[in-house]
Amino acid sequence: MNHEQLAEQLDREIEGLMKAQSAEEHSGDLLQIAAELRLLPGDEFRQSLKADLMQQAYVMQPGYEGSPAGDDQVPLGAPELMPMFSQREFGALPADPRSLLLSFASHAAVVALIASGIWVGHQTVIKTRPLSADVTYIPLPPGSVVPQGGGGGGDRSTVQASRGTPPKFSDEQRTPPVIVVRNENPKLQAPPTVLGPPELKLPQSARLGDLVSSNVVIPSNGAGSRGGLGGGAGTGDGIGKGPGVGPGMGGGFGGDTFRVGNGVSAPRAIYNPDPEYSDEARKAKFQGNVVLSLVVDPLGHVRDIRVARSLGMGLDEKALEAVRKWKFEPGMKNGYPVAVQVNVEVNFRLY
Amino acid sequence: MRTLERDSDDWPLIEAAQNEPARFAELYEQNFVRIYAFFARRVATREEAQDLTAEVFHQALASIKSFKWQGAPFIAWLYGIAANVLSKHWHRQGKYSTEEITDLSDAGGEIERSVMLAQLVGSLLPDQKHVIVRRFVDQKSIREIALELGRSEGAIKQLQLRALENLRQRLGDTI
Repeated sequence: MNHEQLAEQLDREIEGLMKAQSAEEHSGDLLQIAAELRLLPGDEFRQSLKADLMQQAYVMQPGYEGSPAGDDQVPLGAPELMPMFSQREFGALPADPRSLLLSFASHAAVVALIASGIWVGHQTVIKTRPLSADVTYIPLPPGSVVPQGGGGGGDRSTVQASRGTPPKFSDEQRTPPVIVVRNENPKLQAPPTVLGPPELKLPQSARLGDLVSSNVVIPSNGAGSRGGLGGGAGTGDGIGKGPGVGPGMGGGFGGDTFRVGNGVSAPRAIYNPDPEYSDEARKAKFQGNVVLSLVVDPLGHVRDIRVARSLGMGLDEKALEAVRKWKFEPGMKNGYPVAVQVNVEVNFRLY
Repeated sequence: MRTLERDSDDWPLIEAAQNEPARFAELYEQNFVRIYAFFARRVATREEAQDLTAEVFHQALASIKSFKWQGAPFIAWLYGIAANVLSKHWHRQGKYSTEEITDLSDAGGEIERSVMLAQLVGSLLPDQKHVIVRRFVDQKSIREIALELGRSEGAIKQLQLRALENLRQRLGDTI
């Protein structure tokens, strides 16, 4: 059997394995490894849970009595900025300490070349900055983005959450929405809210609940977990994860994006390979800046990227190509990663 | 293999988390894969494993201040919480398992093998790693991965095979 046939046969067996519900004993070594790989956790869950825990840690900090209005602070120890330096595991996979050494060596080489005056290349200057000083929230055009913000919850009820409307959005969440109240004597009484820009309006009614539920009879917090309403996980309302509403994660409502400021921290680039210089621009000794507008999602990935200020000579494409690969530490709001719109300026310079 | 006997140096991290709860993030990073692996082998779905893992860490963080170090590693305490959470989960489902949740020391080494496997996946070539993570962790089909990477389904199957062969070899070298 040649390698191609072997790959085909293995994949047929893996297909069967992926459809099976339980992890059974598998005779083949490779299939056994495949079965074990299926049991590894996903990076999205790891980061989402970490954000949840940091929110909980924030509340546990000495002296915390609920955030005062306008509190811009995010929890200390919110997701680590550059986990690869700590050599601990990051995501489902471990950081490779060799990358630190390689990075150090390559930077040292570039510095030496610049110092010697023989390097012909370009410099990339990244400026992530708020687009507006006073507006902190921009709803993107409907349907233009993959839903990101969102939330959900529930208390593992066997009954779907009751139908109703979510509470108002607020910059902070003191009380999550619930229908079946488990704690009759809370220490802190506050109206329920979901986390998101207060400007964001959803249908309101006197009946709290899940907008899309078919249960209009039985009071229930839903089949989800961690305290809110719906089938998701978190202190929000719906099928997402986190303190917002609907699909997606991290607060807000599917598809909405924050801007830096008013308690929303700027994303930080943690993996930012330089763009290449286009042949055309290099031959013409053409220099300048490209400004890209993009959204950093709650997982630190780039989406909705476009050229906000063009340079031409193939450099726009080179900037887009490189920045699409960038990874960010996401912007944070109240300890939760949120989708944030930023501008990235890429400076092309020849030396 | 690192098992329950490891981590006598956990105490500084625990003490830091007791003084400043946000420092719990370090204990979380250190033990996340182990707790997830504990549940992944005992429940039917990823969602259950995720919910129960979340519950363990939320409980652990909530009670970190009352944790008293008596020489046992921190992971043993987490496994204790995990066993309790699992027992309640089964009870809620009306499932009274005959399985005693006593194998907290991971005598079979399965949990440590998961940790090792996660590390070995990280050492694969980037395209092999991508295929493995998308295929098994994110549970995507060969077709979806092929579309993502702009390659043929046959090429993705070949990458999958090579990656699994590499993992088999490295597991053999490590154990």
